Amino acid sequence: MDENTLSVIKLKNILLVTVPDEPGDDIIHELQTKVLHAIEKYQSKGLILDISNVNILDSFFARTISETTQMVALMGGKTVIAGMQPCVAITATELGLHLGKAISTLDVDRALDIFSDNFKLV
Amino acid sequence: MANEFGENPIQTEGDIVTCRKLIRNASVAAGFGMTDVTRIVTAVSELARNVYVHSGSHGVMRWQTLYKPGQIGIQLEFEDYGVGIPDIDQAIEAGFTTAGSMGMGLSGVKRLMDDMTIKSETSVGTIVTIEKWGRAK
Repeated sequence: MDENTLSVIKLKNILLVTVPDEPGDDIIHELQTKVLHAIEKYQSKGLILDISNVNILDSFFARTISETTQMVALMGGKTVIAGMQPCVAITATELGLHLGKAISTLDVDRALDIFSDNFKLV
Repeated sequence: MANEFGENPIQTEGDIVTCRKLIRNASVAAGFGMTDVTRIVTAVSELARNVYVHSGSHGVMRWQTLYKPGQIGIQLEFEDYGVGIPDIDQAIEAGFTTAGSMGMGLSGVKRLMDDMTIKSETSVGTIVTIEKWGRAK
């Protein structure tokens, strides 16, 4: 995967972003802006952040995820974090990180299930 | 096994990623398991960012692998020439922050590693040294 760009993929009324394995600060900054603009453009109801490739989550990245979740919520959307690796979950907890109001799922399939369940209720 | 060692400047945001990759490779080569590698690399990311943010873009990371009978280890030193830390105990306290982050930096790093020492002098700079040990395979 090209580590210098980030693709925001529109899937029906949600957005899917796959984060590269060693995201630099510039990619993480880009993530926030790109996602918010895409939500406005496509009128998306939510965001799935696929972090299954990510092998490091530090406090800067965690803060950006937490903030992005909050910003997406202000625009009326829901954020789901999918596919955190076990060693990343262990380290993030020991470090004392939290992801704010973001929901987590084991993988992207389950994240999609969350959105389809929600839409049935609407 | 021979001791490996090296250093890398911390002057740009991109150097944070370079330091992480360097130490990931060194830790894997030393024989650390995946979870310890992730702990070490995460600590590197926190400390390298501290150096970058607080030192006016002048800093360096030095590292070496260590061996004891039946054990493998890695020691890392992060030096900046910034303003220094006036109160080290306060800086290590969970929740303390000067940079608008979550404030988990130093207290979190201490939990991830086996040892952390901080030497700091106001207006001269700060050296944070961390160590991690594991069982040799």
